[in-house]
Amino acid sequence: MTDTADELVSPSSALTREDLLKRGAAAAFAVGMFGGLSEKAFGFAGPHRYTHRQLAGELRIMTWAHFVPAYDQWLDNVYVKQWGEQNDVDVKVDHINNAFLYSTGASQVAAQSGHDLFWFISPPSTFQRQAIPVTDIVQEVSRKLGRMAKVARKSTYNPRTKQFYGFPDDYAPDPVHYRKSFIEEVGGSLRTWEDVRRAAPKLKAIGHPMGLGMSNEIDSNMLLTSLLYCYGGFIQNEENKIVIGQGKNRTGAIEALQLMRDIFRNGMTDEVFAWTAASNNQAFVAGRLSVALNAISITRTAENSGNTALSDDTWLASIPRGPVMRMGNEHVMGVYLIWKFAQNKENAKKFLVDTMLGYREHFIRSQYYNFPAWTGAIQGGFKTIRQMTAQDTHKPKGKYTILTTIAEKYTTNPGFPGNTTPVMDEIFNTYLIPQMFAEVAQGKSTPAEAVRAFDRKAQAIYRKWRNRGLV
Amino acid sequence: MTKRQTFFTYLVVGPFAIVLAFPFYFALVTMFKTDLDLANAQHSPFLYNDLEGNFHWDFWNYATTGEVTFLFTDTNFPTWIVNTVLVAAAVVGITLLLALPAGYALARLAGGWGQSAGVAIFLVYLLPPTLLFLPLSRLITNLDLKDSLWSLILVYPSFTIPFATWLLMGFFKTIPHELEEAALVDGCSRLSALVRIIFPVSLPGILTVVIFAFSLCVNEFIYAFTFVSSSEQRTISAGIPNDLIRGDVFYWQSLMAATVIPAIPLALLYNAFLDRFIKGFTGGAFR
Repeated sequence: MTDTADELVSPSSALTREDLLKRGAAAAFAVGMFGGLSEKAFGFAGPHRYTHRQLAGELRIMTWAHFVPAYDQWLDNVYVKQWGEQNDVDVKVDHINNAFLYSTGASQVAAQSGHDLFWFISPPSTFQRQAIPVTDIVQEVSRKLGRMAKVARKSTYNPRTKQFYGFPDDYAPDPVHYRKSFIEEVGGSLRTWEDVRRAAPKLKAIGHPMGLGMSNEIDSNMLLTSLLYCYGGFIQNEENKIVIGQGKNRTGAIEALQLMRDIFRNGMTDEVFAWTAASNNQAFVAGRLSVALNAISITRTAENSGNTALSDDTWLASIPRGPVMRMGNEHVMGVYLIWKFAQNKENAKKFLVDTMLGYREHFIRSQYYNFPAWTGAIQGGFKTIRQMTAQDTHKPKGKYTILTTIAEKYTTNPGFPGNTTPVMDEIFNTYLIPQMFAEVAQGKSTPAEAVRAFDRKAQAIYRKWRNRGLV
Repeated sequence: MTKRQTFFTYLVVGPFAIVLAFPFYFALVTMFKTDLDLANAQHSPFLYNDLEGNFHWDFWNYATTGEVTFLFTDTNFPTWIVNTVLVAAAVVGITLLLALPAGYALARLAGGWGQSAGVAIFLVYLLPPTLLFLPLSRLITNLDLKDSLWSLILVYPSFTIPFATWLLMGFFKTIPHELEEAALVDGCSRLSALVRIIFPVSLPGILTVVIFAFSLCVNEFIYAFTFVSSSEQRTISAGIPNDLIRGDVFYWQSLMAATVIPAIPLALLYNAFLDRFIKGFTGGAFR
């Protein structure tokens, strides 16, 4: 036994590398776990954050990781701190990647626990049973700032319940980004969708295809729904009933599908079916794409990269005109929900009202990305906004002023001419629209078949939400 | 080994090594690239280029440490690493504390139903984490552990212990009864025999459990992401994809650095025990 034991266990007085690792790990663990206990000496009540004052409460906010990091730093370290001190509230802001917003919101609902305020990147109307109506604070802000922008109102108002289920704070226009030199080289234009159809093969021929996504992601959703508007292929009518399979709507949708099929076959590559929300941005900044629809993160990324040849050649334009209209979706519609299970509802309401009343600073800090949901938050409205955007120093000078025109005239909500109902939210989040376009572009369905199939699915979703009393 | 054998060994191993090392090379190059070099599709992604896309031997003049510095100064990356190590160490400890006696008991003391119980425990491991998410989420909420590393320290062992128990049970079964009996005859208690005889010869199995539990803690995403919301409390698996991708903008260089940097100490750590693993996997648990 002794021999065996000696053979199997080989004690040594020397410090082996394993001993070193073990001791080091144990020490690090102990310090890490318990080293900070003194900071937690306030116990369960938490520290009194502001000297000589008893905290009135807490507020936990979940929002996205803004593509302008400086905006988040200002929001977290300046704005929220100041607001917290003024209102005696301990505010904590968490940021997540926008791709995880919806699933994280769903997980908080499932657990009935989470943040007090939850910000969504598009109108989260399927969650409205889980949120408290905020009509009172919408009215309070409207009394001070004037009417809410129509895009924000249609995104957050439910005509069936006659309540605002969410509080919109901002929206981002969705301009066309294009390389001026490439468009000039092929002698093209982006004024109408027919112009786009004609320019697409020429741009592909010079090695710079268009980048119009048909994938399961938000940019494709926004672009393709906009295209449907331009051709009169409305998914729902003003009464929020599904009408895409009927009359002129069906004809318009079929024409839009045909157009996109042509653009894809002659002017794009297969990659557009597998894109993420960042893909058009990356391909454009890499110098490959000639045209893309996106919020201004493309131009800002190009500017920040230092590639002036690219950024100086990148221009912005309104969405092309279709046979019926020129109209596009917002790229981002920022909507806050106050969960029913929120612990600090009154603080949440106060925060939203105060934030909206002082939104000018948010607009500036976001580098003109966050347009205020109440245009009156910036004194002088669009006139002032135009002046502010004109002051941007990046070349080509004045390129950002078009954002004002887009925001004022050519930006609407998903579900236009109706509201952004839970039906539209579900259609968006199940990516039925890009799938319909991709089916046609890949030749798997004719446009008529694709519209019929889409209509059938949309009607089923409508019936579901109708039965739940939300449309 | 003859020169001929050595040559053929490297002939076989060499290509594998190159293929396996290539992602690290790519990440290493990318993490020091300038934005202009990285974003230009005409430039080689495997080298450092000047503005015209040409390679120079003094490549360090065309690289930058700015994005790596950004990772350490402008993000919570160092905190994520510390958090990951803390969680992993705690989970490994809890797993060994519970799985070792459980595995031994099932292998030695449970009689005929031990095998069935072992399989039943293993089946628990096969439950998809997404199914367990809701009950565990409510549990964490009720215990007021949300947004805390303790939530992960509590939840992860529910995945690691079933597998570890099953694995260790198998290792203990390969050890001859005679060893323990000899120890007991020599005056050892069962606990003493366990600690002095069985555990040392089961070291390869224990190390496998350590690696499994540690790797799970480093890689796990769903719970790390949903149970912990604040950036300063995240582990690397949740912190990197969340904080280094902002909207449409990917911080590629920082992402690559954040991937490579934790891999280096882990590789060294695993290498420190490599001889043990090889002995265990190739020679069996008992010599």
